Amino acid sequence: MGSLLRNQKARNALLQAVFVGALGSLVIAGALIARQNMAAQGITSGFDFLFKPTGWEVTFSLLPAKPTDPYWWYFLIGIINTLFLGAFGLVTATLVGTVVGLARTSSNDLARLLGRSYVDVFRNIPLILQVFFWNALITNLPPPREAHEAWGFALTSRGLYVPILNVHGLAFAGATLALLAAIVLPIWLGRTTRLDSRPEQRRPAQLGTAVLALAGAVLILFLGRLPDTSLMSVPALRGLNLQGGLRVPPEFTALVVAIAVYGGSYIAEIVRGGFKAVGKGQVEAANSLGLTPWQVFSCVRLPLALRAMLPILANQYVWLMKATTLGIAVGFADFFMIVALTINHSGQTLEAIGILMAGFLIINLSLAALFNRINKAIALKGSQLRG
Amino acid sequence: MATLAQSPNPDIALRIEGMNKYFGNFHALRNIELTVTRGEKIVVCGPSGSGKSTMIRCINRLEEHNSGRIVVLGTELNDDVGNIDEIRREVGMVFQHFNLFPHMSVLENCVLAPMLVRKLPRPQAEEMALRFLEKVRIPEQASKYPGQLSGGQQQRVAIARALCMQPQMMLFDEPTSALDPEMISEVLDVMVTLAADGMTMICVTHEMGFARRVADRVIFMDRGEIIEEAPPETFFTASRNERTRQFLSQILNH
Repeated sequence: MGSLLRNQKARNALLQAVFVGALGSLVIAGALIARQNMAAQGITSGFDFLFKPTGWEVTFSLLPAKPTDPYWWYFLIGIINTLFLGAFGLVTATLVGTVVGLARTSSNDLARLLGRSYVDVFRNIPLILQVFFWNALITNLPPPREAHEAWGFALTSRGLYVPILNVHGLAFAGATLALLAAIVLPIWLGRTTRLDSRPEQRRPAQLGTAVLALAGAVLILFLGRLPDTSLMSVPALRGLNLQGGLRVPPEFTALVVAIAVYGGSYIAEIVRGGFKAVGKGQVEAANSLGLTPWQVFSCVRLPLALRAMLPILANQYVWLMKATTLGIAVGFADFFMIVALTINHSGQTLEAIGILMAGFLIINLSLAALFNRINKAIALKGSQLRG
Repeated sequence: MATLAQSPNPDIALRIEGMNKYFGNFHALRNIELTVTRGEKIVVCGPSGSGKSTMIRCINRLEEHNSGRIVVLGTELNDDVGNIDEIRREVGMVFQHFNLFPHMSVLENCVLAPMLVRKLPRPQAEEMALRFLEKVRIPEQASKYPGQLSGGQQQRVAIARALCMQPQMMLFDEPTSALDPEMISEVLDVMVTLAADGMTMICVTHEMGFARRVADRVIFMDRGEIIEEAPPETFFTASRNERTRQFLSQILNH
């Protein structure tokens, strides 16, 4: 026994076993105590409530929702709303960040000054204040009957009105997926090693899938057309309100703008850092070969900068996904708000929060895993001691 | 494209007249005068900080000269972007730190500029790239990435990449200074072959053996000035310049 304790490996194994055992008992004890306390207050713990009707309305949903729907359906709606908000927020923040970041690395003094001021202002104001600010700004806009319209868009106190296609919601979602496939599949076909032995098939395969996916999108839209309507539905004033088009609620617009503006200021710094990390030598080599400034940018600077940015960008995206929980502050029915309402109505605090945390873990771990994969796929090969 | 009125001679590859270059207040190049005829091989040497690299970087506008004029292959180097592009297309450059594009394979490094700048179709560009990779003796590394190669191999790829643009003149900026000693000769051998093919070359290097073998003229620079210009045999054995003799004794006797 004494000699076993002196063995380094045995010692490490024992220590770890003790640690895991202690942690496990702590969790079990906590759960048992919570269960006992809840039972004493007359709350039954467990997940049976998931299948009961909620009895309340949800303010924003991409799926059909009514008060007789069960809690699990509402949770699904919440997750989809969070993902929807997150997707818009991340994409717009990335666009803003790219523009501001490029301005900060520009050789133009004015562009650099503007970029710097932007980052200084928006990075240093708490996100929740910015959410309130944009929400207040939008809800204080003129009402629909006084709204200014431009190209079918109208920004009013009741939200942002945008023109939409007169199609069934599911058809719209399907067509969006098909469009995404039309972009992603050709890129994948261009890179996959499966076609390495038949390089001459790459081009036709790329073109073919792109055309097929586009045709699919058009077909889905055509089949999903609502009967007896024009193809486009454009918002127009009828009496005191705008009719037609799609109304984006003010709180959603405010959240997307806040995340885009705030996240954009962080992403701008990441973009700037990425471009600074590109070796001066590579740029000089590209110049000396006679490439135009745009070719130097697109073939050398951007691909190298992207590789430097990606790991930090993934971190920022996970952060911004978590920031969508601020939806509750302005009344947007994100995952967090649905969970909060669930707790109010059902009293199942621990279960609901557990589901909320698990949901965010799954969303963010998937995001991180996706970025790790991309990162690995485009990593520079070989040792890179010198650029 | 403005051609220099005084030098209609098509045999002149490069003419530098009264060129000055400043970095802020620092006078980096003083009144440089240099004429290189086609097919000539020039070796530029001198102590560190003497302006050798700056001078050859001025030839393809990696650095901008402040006064004087530079005419490369009949094209005047000025603020005209068309002229700069024209010169860069015809002048290849090899750097001390190779500066390969690390995200592209060796072959992609070589076909990039011919396809984008010379508008060569991919099959022709690849065929030519393989021919030049063969010339620098590493055709088998075409599908590898720069990070997977040794320094000597990377530098030979860099030479092949520059040659793929089929330049009329090559600039070498200390091509062997960053290499481990055992890899220097493989790069120099390639440069000797290139010289034998009749390429116009301007090499900043401290490889005096190479200078003896291939140089038509050796140029010695110090503190931003061209101090001496002589054929190698005179330069190495019969220099009358004090600074040249001091420099040579420092790099040859160690």
